[in-house]
Amino acid sequence: MDDFSQVRKEAARILSEKIVDMVIGFKQGTIPLKSQPMFITSQEDTDKLILDGFCQNNLAVFLHDQPKDKRIGIICRACESRAVRALVIEHQVNRENLYLIGVPCMGILDWKKIQDAADGPVTNAQESGDQILLEIGDKKQVLIRNEFIVDSCRGCGHREPIDVDIQIGEISPIEMNADNLPQTWGESFKSKSADERFQLFTEETERCIRCYACREACPMCYCTECFVDHIAPRWSESMVTPGGTQAWHIIRAFHQTGRCVECGACERACPMDIKMVYLTDKLNDDMKKEYGFEVGENEEKQPPFATITLDDKNRFKY
Amino acid sequence: MMPKLIKKIEFDKTISKWFKSYDVIAPVSSKEGIHFKRIKDPKEIKLDGNQNSIYPPKNVFLPQSEVLFTVKNDNYEMPDQAPRKRIVFGMRPCDARAVWLLDTIFNKADDLDLYWGKRREKALIISVGCASMCSNGFCDTVGSGPFGKDGSDILITELDDAYFVDPLTSAGEALIKSLPEADDTQGKNAKLIQKGSVIKEHQAADLPRIREKLYEAFNTSIWKDVSESCLGCGVCTYLCPTCFCFDIVDEIDRSERVRNWDTCMFRVYSAEASGHNPRPTKAERTRQRIMHKFAYWVDNEAASGCTGCGRCISQCPVNLDIREMVQEITSLKIQ
Repeated sequence: MDDFSQVRKEAARILSEKIVDMVIGFKQGTIPLKSQPMFITSQEDTDKLILDGFCQNNLAVFLHDQPKDKRIGIICRACESRAVRALVIEHQVNRENLYLIGVPCMGILDWKKIQDAADGPVTNAQESGDQILLEIGDKKQVLIRNEFIVDSCRGCGHREPIDVDIQIGEISPIEMNADNLPQTWGESFKSKSADERFQLFTEETERCIRCYACREACPMCYCTECFVDHIAPRWSESMVTPGGTQAWHIIRAFHQTGRCVECGACERACPMDIKMVYLTDKLNDDMKKEYGFEVGENEEKQPPFATITLDDKNRFKY
Repeated sequence: MMPKLIKKIEFDKTISKWFKSYDVIAPVSSKEGIHFKRIKDPKEIKLDGNQNSIYPPKNVFLPQSEVLFTVKNDNYEMPDQAPRKRIVFGMRPCDARAVWLLDTIFNKADDLDLYWGKRREKALIISVGCASMCSNGFCDTVGSGPFGKDGSDILITELDDAYFVDPLTSAGEALIKSLPEADDTQGKNAKLIQKGSVIKEHQAADLPRIREKLYEAFNTSIWKDVSESCLGCGVCTYLCPTCFCFDIVDEIDRSERVRNWDTCMFRVYSAEASGHNPRPTKAERTRQRIMHKFAYWVDNEAASGCTGCGRCISQCPVNLDIREMVQEITSLKIQ
């Protein structure tokens, strides 16, 4: 975003006019290629706000821990705004206590891929238009930004923040030149046979260390007790075994059916670089096909799998 | 003990010789980066630059999950978990120091953890020092360094065309006794590389002061401030080479008692059966993590429980930086 000062001004305004008690945004990280979520309560700190391709979290996740009656401003890219709506629909937040500042997003960057492509340990990284300018000690290196946009942002069809209180900055198109880029993991997964797909799924999940960073980074994972932590009855094996880990990934994805906002925060949080967005994407595609339901498109409709209606055309079978 | 030499052209041959009597575990390339695993061919070993594994090699001695015993016909059977002798090759000094620290927990003469003890007894650690420090590493500030010796049986310094092999224990010395001796020039070169590896601007952490400051800040709200963006996942602790907390569970279906890694950063870790949780929010859980590393370890072993490997900093999904957190807490002015 070219002129982020307007966002800072707006954040300072809503704090000084006591419209909100806190603003959630991002600040510069302590290491290159990273940023930190930031919780601002005094307007002087709004100067620290930033937004760039290294802001990898979905800020809506931080609403889980906040009291429902606290008035909170939140810098919203499209993903965050969709997550807020989904949380409103599921009665997790009070929309009237939130103030959404909509901002454009040019796609989140894959810091690991950038580090791998760099000629050495990156000591500084800046975005500049369609380039990423790296400093590696005294050396400089330029990368093409689009080549490092994460998979979940590459296919993004929802770039406009929804239901915001104020929109700042214009949404400009991302020139992807998709022809020059390799297929995304999800696309190539779809083109494989069932056996190959299971093989790929197995290879991905076997690296899992059950740190549950995917769960904790997800704006839609808010259960006070996750099924894996449940002791009586026990739904999942305690040991980190291939079977238990596969079960975790499958059940996690299924719980997201028609709820996942497709932000990809889970995948970016994973220290083991495990692909998982392809699972929830497929489930969301099915929801669209079977029920015409899409997360965030409507203010009232509950996710199909979270709804029960008496005139359901399919009866429960037992 | 005389330092030895492995010429780079003879590296594969030397390692291959060990295969006969040892399982060799070494860093290899994997999907997420460097990963320690048992190798069958020395060519798999990846020692490029100063890259360390993402997943710490502590699991060689403390596996993420292990069966402690199985109950069969009223008998308890302990699995034979390390039948062969093992060499852990290419551990970095930060991780070797972590094993040395964990020995104070699991390998006490009067309170031995059988599982850890058996694995340690049958293993040799060959560390490779880091000629330049990794991006987020700060080993030199917490009592170790890129060529720290704690925990290793042998420490290797990479020269241009050879590896300078320095035995640190008698077991290490015995393993390499047939290798040629290094000459004085090679010894000098190795010293130069070791000296040049530290970052001059880094200052040693004043551990007693940090410890004192942490205790002073124990009941303040600073913990809430520094942990506000914490997601409560297990990345920092599972990837930490010295975090050793575990949970013991009975897998009743298989008649097994198992031990799994656990982490103080999970809410359920401290949740009690009554429903009460003595560490109810992220603030208390974060306090536990920081206090354990920089106060309780100092109390018990007069050493920092952090070896400065930097994994928690590189991999934290919200870029919580333990250096910054400690800095913030210790600079707090308490009335």
